[in-house]
Amino acid sequence: MESEKINKEIAPTPEEVPEWLLDLDKVGFVRRLFLARKWYGGDWWFVAISAVLLLFFIIVGIFPQWFAPYDPRAEVGPSLLAPGEPPASYLLITPLESGDIRFRDISDRTNNIGFIIGSAASQAMREATDELNEDAPEGVRYQPRQQRYETLEEGLQSLADGEIDGFIASPEELGGTLEDFPTLQVVSTLREVGESGFIFGTNQIGQDILSRIIWGTRIALIVGLSSAVVSFLIGVPLGLVSGFVGGPFDRILTLLMDSLYSFPGLILAISIAAVLGAGIGNIIVSIAVLYVPTYYRIVRGQTLAVREELYVEAARSIGTKWTTILRKYIFPNVIPSVVIIFSVNVGDAILTEAGLSFLGFGLPPDTPDWGIDLARGQDYVRRAWWLITYPGLMVTMVTLSFSMLGESLSEILNPRLTER
Amino acid sequence: MAEKELLSQIRNLSVEYKTRLGQVSAVDSVSFDIYKGEILGLVGESGCGKSTMGKALMRMIQPPGKITGGQIIFQGEDIMTYDDNQMRDFRGRKVSMIFQDPMTSLNPTQRVDEHIIEAIQVHEPQVKIEEALKLAEKMIRKLGMQKRRMNSYPHQLSGGMRQRVMVGLGLVLNADLIVADEATTSLDVIVEAQLADQLKDIREEFGVSLLVITHNIALVAEISDRIVVMYAGHVMEIANVEPIFDNPLHPYTRGLLKSIPNIKLNDTEELYKMPGEPPNLTHPPSGCRFHPRCPRVMPICKVHGPDLTEVSPGRFVKCWLYIDHPEKESETIKVEA
Amino acid sequence: MSSSLRRFLITRILLTIPMVLILVTMIFFIMRVLPGDPIRSQLGPRVSEEQADALRERLGLNRPLYIQYFDFLWDMVTLDFGTALTQGERPIRDELGERLPATIELTIPAIAITALIGILSGAFAAKNRKKPIDYSIRLLSIAIYSIPIFFMGLIFQIIFAVRIPILPLSGRMDTLLLTQFESITNFYVIDAILTGNWPALRSALTHLIMPSITLGLALTGVFVRLTRVNMIEMLQSDFITAGRARGIPERRLVYKHALRNTFIPILTLLGLQFAILLAGAVLTETTFSWPGVGRYLVDRIELRDYTAVQATIGVFALFVALISLLMDIIYALIDPRIRY
Repeated sequence: MESEKINKEIAPTPEEVPEWLLDLDKVGFVRRLFLARKWYGGDWWFVAISAVLLLFFIIVGIFPQWFAPYDPRAEVGPSLLAPGEPPASYLLITPLESGDIRFRDISDRTNNIGFIIGSAASQAMREATDELNEDAPEGVRYQPRQQRYETLEEGLQSLADGEIDGFIASPEELGGTLEDFPTLQVVSTLREVGESGFIFGTNQIGQDILSRIIWGTRIALIVGLSSAVVSFLIGVPLGLVSGFVGGPFDRILTLLMDSLYSFPGLILAISIAAVLGAGIGNIIVSIAVLYVPTYYRIVRGQTLAVREELYVEAARSIGTKWTTILRKYIFPNVIPSVVIIFSVNVGDAILTEAGLSFLGFGLPPDTPDWGIDLARGQDYVRRAWWLITYPGLMVTMVTLSFSMLGESLSEILNPRLTER
Repeated sequence: MAEKELLSQIRNLSVEYKTRLGQVSAVDSVSFDIYKGEILGLVGESGCGKSTMGKALMRMIQPPGKITGGQIIFQGEDIMTYDDNQMRDFRGRKVSMIFQDPMTSLNPTQRVDEHIIEAIQVHEPQVKIEEALKLAEKMIRKLGMQKRRMNSYPHQLSGGMRQRVMVGLGLVLNADLIVADEATTSLDVIVEAQLADQLKDIREEFGVSLLVITHNIALVAEISDRIVVMYAGHVMEIANVEPIFDNPLHPYTRGLLKSIPNIKLNDTEELYKMPGEPPNLTHPPSGCRFHPRCPRVMPICKVHGPDLTEVSPGRFVKCWLYIDHPEKESETIKVEA
Repeated sequence: MSSSLRRFLITRILLTIPMVLILVTMIFFIMRVLPGDPIRSQLGPRVSEEQADALRERLGLNRPLYIQYFDFLWDMVTLDFGTALTQGERPIRDELGERLPATIELTIPAIAITALIGILSGAFAAKNRKKPIDYSIRLLSIAIYSIPIFFMGLIFQIIFAVRIPILPLSGRMDTLLLTQFESITNFYVIDAILTGNWPALRSALTHLIMPSITLGLALTGVFVRLTRVNMIEMLQSDFITAGRARGIPERRLVYKHALRNTFIPILTLLGLQFAILLAGAVLTETTFSWPGVGRYLVDRIELRDYTAVQATIGVFALFVALISLLMDIIYALIDPRIRY
C-alpha cells in the first residue's frame, strides 16, 4: 500500500523519481524489505507471517507465566488425561457412625485417610487439602496422613475397623464393593464431576501438557538463540579475516571448517554433550560448534568475492587501513546473507536441541522441554497420542517460523535469483 | 536487390515490462519489413529495445514482459494468432536465433552432434538418427568445421566455432530468418570479421534472411543491406545502407554516426558526444522520445510524436524535420530520392 | 584426458586423508581432553581406585596422551577397535559389521525417496516460479524440513501402527521370524532373497517402509529448496533461451536440459546432505528401534562405553569422507567441463 502511494504521488517525469526508488537493489535491506512487498508478493507475506508468529513465540518465551495455567513441574491432575477430558471425581467414604462430616473435619495432622496405591486419589486429596489450607485461618494447617492400600477391600476393611478416618476412591474404583461394607457411607465428592479438564491433557505423571509446552518455548528459544549468537560471534569474524588475509592461515582454517561441516552435526553434538554432561550451557556450546562452519563458509566466500572488487582495490591503493576496509566495505556486503543464515540457524538449533533431548542428552530430566517430553511420550505411543503431538507441533511451528523467515528473506535479498 | 519479396512484416508491435517501478514500454509500436534474402541491421544504444525486438519476433518475451499489441506477419500468416504448438514449430523451423554469449548459449552437457540432432528431431520426429547425423555432418562441413568437432562439448570449442554451431543449428532446419542478437559482440575483432563474412556467405548460399541486432554500426555498415535505427523503443529511421551513411536524416542517426571512433581521427577532430542520457522508459518523454537530447529540437517535438513516414522510396524517418504538421513553424525539409 | 583424470583422482584421494585425520583428531580430543573421566563414569563411584587403575592400565589410558593418540589413529587405519567395555566385551568391529548393513539398508531407500521427490518437485516449483504452486511447494518443503524427524516417525507410528495397524511399529523383522532367520550379509532384504525365505522378505520390507519413508521425507525439505534455487538459476541461463528459440519443447528444456545441468551442483550438495542423512539416521533408528550404527552409538553413550563410542564416531568419520570422495569422483565423471 505504502509503496504504491509513493509511486503514484511522485514521478510524473523521470527526473522526479527518487534515486532509491529507481533501483531497489541499491537501498539498504531494511527499507528494501518494506518496498519489496509489491514486487515479491508471496515471499513478503511469508516474511510478515513468520515475523508475527515469532513475535508471539518470543513473548510466550519471555513471559511463560502469563500463558501457562499451571506450574509445568507440578502434578496438577490425574495422569494421562486426554485433551479436554474432565478428571474423574473422587468420593470420600466414612463410617456411618461418624455421621454427616466433611473432608475438613478429618483433615487434621492426626487423621488418617486411605486410598489405593497408584490411584490418582492422592492427587485429588492433595488438591482438596490445598484448597482447605488456602481458606484456613492463621495457624491452622490441614495435612491428613496418607495410608496406601494394595486393594480396595483391604482399605475399606481397615476403615470399617476404625484404623483410618476416611477413604478416597473414584466411582470406577469403587464399583459395587461398598455394598459389602454396610457400616460405611459415601459422604461427599472431593472433585466435582463437571470440572473442566486440561486443554492438551496431562502426561504420565499428571503434569499439564499445555503448561509444559509453554514453558518449553523458553528453553527452546534460549538454546536456539544463544547457540546461534555464539556461532555467529565465532564464525563471522573468522570468515572475514580468513577470506581477507588468505594464505596458509586461510587454507588450514578452511580445511578444518570443511571437515567439521561435512561431519553429521547431531552426532558431533551428541558426543560433545555426552562428554560435557547435562546442563543448558553445555547444550548451547555443543550446538554452537556445529554452526560455526556455516557462517564461516558463507562469510569467507563473500569476502573473497568482495575483496576482488575494484572499489576495495581502490581503497587499498590509497592506503586505507585493512580494519577499515573490513568494516566499511566488506562487512556490509555480508550482512544480508548472515541475517538469512542466522534465521535458519536458530530454527536448526532448536531442531537439534529437540533431537539431543529426545536422545536423552543435555537437559536435566524434568526440564519442561519439548524434546524431553517427546522422548517420554514415546513410551506411550500406543495409549496417549497427545503426549507427543503437542510438543512435536510446537517444535515444528517455531522451527517453521524461523526457517520461513530465512528462506523468504533469501528469496528477496539473494541477488543470484533476481529476475532479469 | 532488384525485386524484393516480402518475408515478414512487423506492424505496430509493442512490448511492455512490468517492473518494480511500473510499466516500461520497451518497444512501442514498431513497424518494419524484412525481405527475403536480405541482411537487415537493427542498431541502437544498449537498452533501446533492440534485443527485446528480436525476442518479440519469436514471441519469446518472458514474464514480467508481454507483447501488448501489434502484428507479426510471417510469410503471410499472423504469428500472433499461433497457439503454443504452432509457435514452437515456428521457432527453429522458420526463425532461428543466435545469441551474444556463445560461451553460455549451448548446453554444456551436450555434444555438438547431440545439439543438431535434437534440433532436427524436435521438429521432424520422423527423421531417423542416422539421417539426422548425416545432415548434421553436412552442416558442420559447410560451416568450415572439421568433422571431429561433432563429438566435442561446447567448452572444447573456441568462441567463433561455438557461434558457427549456433548458426548451424539455425540453418539445419532451413530457417527463413536468422536473428543474430549481438552475435559478434563478445568475439575478438578478427573472429568477428570472419563470422561477419560467413554470415554473408550463408545468406548467399542458403538464401536466408538475417536480422543483425547490434550496437556496432561499423559491423552493420559492413554486412547489411538495410538498416533500422531504434531509440528508446521507437524506430527512428529505416533506409538502405549507402544512403544512411552518406546522408543520415534523423538527428539521432547523425549523432550515432558521428560518435563512431575513426582511425583517421586526428587531434583537431573530436568525437561527438551526444548530450544527455537515454530516457527512463517507465516515464518516457512526451512527444518525440528523442527531443530532450535532440540538437535540432522544435517546439512541436515536445508536444506531438511524429509517425514513421516514408519520405522517399524505401526511406522512412520519424522526425518532424521531414514531416508536415499544422502546428509546425519551420519549413519541412524535402528529401531527394 | 584419462591421465589427467587419474591425476585428479589421486589428488582427490590424497586430499581425503587430512580431512579424515582432522575429524579423527577432533573426536579424540573431544573424548579425552574435555572434562570428564570416562573410566570413572563407566565404573561408577562404588568401584575402588585400584580396580579403576587396573582398567586404565588394560586400556592403555595411563600412558602419555600422544601415545594414546597414535594408538587410536592406528586403530582407525587397521579398522581394529578392540573390544567394547560393556555387554560381553564383544569386539567392536564385529558389532559394527552387523550394524552398518542395517543403517545402509535404511538409508538407501531413504536417499531414493529424497532424490525422487525432492528433485522433481524442486524442478516443478522452479518452472512455475512465483505461481501459487511454487509457493505451496516451498511452504510444504519448509514445513517438512521443520518437523523433527523423530516426531514425524512417532506420528507415522501412531497413524499406521496404532490407529490403522497396517505396518509394524518398530524393529527390522518380526521376532518370530527372526529366531529362525539365517543372516549372511546382514542386509535382511538381500538375505531373505538369497535364502528364498519369502515370509522373512515380506516382514523385512514392511518393517522398512515407515523408517525409510520418515528419513527420506525429512530430507526432502532441504532437497526441494536446493533443487529449486539451482534450477531457477539454470532456467535463466542463455542456453535455455537459445533452446527455446530453436523450438525445443518447454518440458524437454526444463526436465532434460536444465535438470541435467542442475544435477552437477546438486550432486555436490548431495554429498553434504549425507551428513544430515546420517544424523537423521541416528534419530530414525532410535524412534523405530532399528538396530543400526546410530542406535548403537546412542546406547553406548548411555552406557558410557567410551571405547565403543570413540570407534563408532570414527567409523562415521571414515564413512563421511568416503562418500564425499565418491561424490567428487562421480562429479568429475559427469561434468564434461571439469578442470582437473
